[in-house]
Amino acid sequence: MKLKSLLTLATLSIASATYAQEASPLQLSGSVDTYFKYDFAKQPNIKTYFANEQNSVSIGMIDLALKKTTGKASFVGELSFGPRGQAQSIVPSADGESFHIQNLYVNYAFTDKFSMAAGYMGTFVGYEVISPAANFNYSTSYLFGAGPFQNAGIKGTYAFSDKVSLMVGLFNDWNAYQDLNGVSSVGGQLMVAPVEGWTAYINVLNGFHSGGGYGSGTIVDLTTAYQITEKFKLGLNAADYSASDDAGGYTGAALYPQYAFTPSVALGLRGEYFNIKGAAGAADAAVTSVTLSGNLKAGGLTFIPEVRFDNDKDLSQSFMKSSGAFTKSASQFSLAAVYAF
Amino acid sequence: MKFLFGLSFLVFAVNLCFGQDQPLAYDERGKLIHYEVVEMNGITKAQLDARAEKFFKKSAKMLKLKSAAGDSLMQAAGKIVITKTALVLSHPSGEVQYNFYAEAKDAKYRFWLTDYEFIPYQRDRYGNFVPSTVIGVPLERKPGKLNAGEWEAYLKYATSQSRVIAGQFKDAMNAKQEQAPKTKSPETISTKKW
Repeated sequence: MKLKSLLTLATLSIASATYAQEASPLQLSGSVDTYFKYDFAKQPNIKTYFANEQNSVSIGMIDLALKKTTGKASFVGELSFGPRGQAQSIVPSADGESFHIQNLYVNYAFTDKFSMAAGYMGTFVGYEVISPAANFNYSTSYLFGAGPFQNAGIKGTYAFSDKVSLMVGLFNDWNAYQDLNGVSSVGGQLMVAPVEGWTAYINVLNGFHSGGGYGSGTIVDLTTAYQITEKFKLGLNAADYSASDDAGGYTGAALYPQYAFTPSVALGLRGEYFNIKGAAGAADAAVTSVTLSGNLKAGGLTFIPEVRFDNDKDLSQSFMKSSGAFTKSASQFSLAAVYAF
Repeated sequence: MKFLFGLSFLVFAVNLCFGQDQPLAYDERGKLIHYEVVEMNGITKAQLDARAEKFFKKSAKMLKLKSAAGDSLMQAAGKIVITKTALVLSHPSGEVQYNFYAEAKDAKYRFWLTDYEFIPYQRDRYGNFVPSTVIGVPLERKPGKLNAGEWEAYLKYATSQSRVIAGQFKDAMNAKQEQAPKTKSPETISTKKW
């Protein structure tokens, strides 16, 4: 009994001292989110990704990310579980769904200026992303929904200076773990930071499917954000996608002015114009959207009240009134809570 | 048995006491500051300047020198990365940027860390933590009640790390040089004599 007590005490003391000295490089982070959405016509009208369930306290996803750096090598592995991370963001695989990989890649920094990464990575194209912790608005833009979500591939990035860097890579088809017609998408990103607080990315991604279809074409995208003052930030996303074989595509632009009243309270507006190009000579169809979102932060929790108004002058989105009649406008209110850790 | 309990209690207590620092002071501008004046009898200004320059050169990754060579007031910019711990794993959650100033006279020198500003990190699309803004919030600014606890933690960590940086600078100014450890050659067995 005495020996047992002695060993227990010794173990506790040693564990305490050891914990104080070790610094683990393995990083764990993630987020969880939940929301309530109410369309004023009581129809699931606005069909952009996420926050789609009408008049329901619904869930987004649990997102877990691991990262470790050892010398010049590092890896990131990020999984998500839940509607936002599975069916709503990735085309279901033939095996059905269990969980989805958001990032799975390794990175090697050959020098301070040059690094390469290979694996399955969040797309470099566009302003918004899947993770709710990284977006200001909870609902997403038409531009986000139309573009790629992830790109598997291999890429090299060279930083000429703090103000200019260039990435070039070879990628699989959009949002696919496996490229069934051979690695064939070529992409690049030029980053420029003209002044402190202003960063701009010019992205190009060219893809090819032997039968055409999603991701077969060329997308050119501008994503930029400028922290103009301590409180005011302005973001812009503009993109043009031309599908191959005259299969249509889209053009769009979204502006993101955001004002932080305090570090915990901010208000942001998203104004978007999105034009769907008609395929094979068909007419284009345009949608506009205005979204007003608040961000109220307390520690890791961000509470996002949001109201959104969409206008579909060409009746391409099938908005409906409560009676079921088609209409050109839709509006919704949502409340979301995102906890990032 | 009583002795062992007492010893274990002391180990835990030492861990606790080590974490409690004197808070940062305020200067005449109302900015938080870690300020020290150190007497160095028998050392000239030129010698102190040379030691300070050597320190900044050696610490180039930690402190980016902003003043030009030969300036009487040396100025550098640094950052303290704040990590958030979940169980035993952690990740960077923000950084506290600061300015480091150093100045020497014959037989004494002074240095101070000030202009502390907090910049929160956000995870980017690739799973990496990066600054979410370039304009920091001064640590002197009291946050609302919602984030008071976290702000206090940032302040405490900035305080403790300032002491560590100050200690490293004072060691360099004392021209303390670490002796290279004597490498012990491994034991070998001679197969020639038997």
